[in-house]
Amino acid sequence: MPSLRINGTDHAFPGDTLPATVAELLNALEIDHATVVAEVDGQIVERTRFGETPIREGQSIELVRFVGGG
Amino acid sequence: MNDKLTIAGRDFTSRLFIGTGKYASNEMMARSIEASGTEMVTVALRRVDIGNPNDDMLAAIDRDRYLLLPNTSGARDAEEAVRLARLARAATGIAWVKLEVTPDPYYLLPDGAETLRAAERLVAEGFVVLPYIQADPVLAKRLEDVGTATVMPLASPIGSNQGLKTRASLEIIIEQATVPVVVDAGLGVPSHAADAMEMGADAVLVNTSIATAADPVAMARAFAMAVEAGRMAWLAGRAAERRIASASSPLTGFLRNG
Repeated sequence: MPSLRINGTDHAFPGDTLPATVAELLNALEIDHATVVAEVDGQIVERTRFGETPIREGQSIELVRFVGGG
Repeated sequence: MNDKLTIAGRDFTSRLFIGTGKYASNEMMARSIEASGTEMVTVALRRVDIGNPNDDMLAAIDRDRYLLLPNTSGARDAEEAVRLARLARAATGIAWVKLEVTPDPYYLLPDGAETLRAAERLVAEGFVVLPYIQADPVLAKRLEDVGTATVMPLASPIGSNQGLKTRASLEIIIEQATVPVVVDAGLGVPSHAADAMEMGADAVLVNTSIATAADPVAMARAFAMAVEAGRMAWLAGRAAERRIASASSPLTGFLRNG
């Protein structure tokens, strides 16, 4: 099964199909695009480019969002 | 009273900034922010919980009313802080950041050397940088020199509610600063905030003492009043402190026998 490292944890995707783009990954994880920031292998992906940013096997993805803080 | 605080060209009527951590609920947070009258609230960036991905606190914050000030909390050095600042900019679309670098998890005291390094890089990248620092007058000037929008010296450790433990150094920072001084961290009760404002601080940032009060909404309102009172007292110009008494009533015309 193909896998991605997401927020420091390996995630396997069933059926041999990795999401093709950041947008597809967020959809697969049921994450609202509007509230999240993505980094792929250390590079920030602007929200407007989620749909056109490809994802490949073995990449490291960080998905972050705002939480309460001082 | 036309007494605006201007940071990086943006005017603020309220001199109370609010942190959004530690509230029992997003609803309580929203009501407390409202009661505080603030115009700027801090937020933190953290990894999405993949198992519970849609807990979105931003939905509770009206972005038209409140400027979001993302912090770099969790950063242990300049590199991590710069990375967090860039992520925050991608999220908000604006380049304001509360810069904090706190390698020590016990007292959460900021690392001045790393903060200065990060500030230089972020200013060069066009960020509006509000650095959280020790109450160190020399560091405050160094940060000003590299172009930070404010300095934010701590009153006492984050969340400690101890008040103005750094008073003497805060007074020097306020005396010397040419950018707004925001007293951040450790203000436990409204009188601490009033005290800071009476000293001439330009604003204060409060989180724990409101969020963890028995009634956060009432405490937010109390802090708002204290900040306003302290500011007004500073502008009014305090009367001189004296070692001995100075009678308020005339010292003539006493009713005395003989």
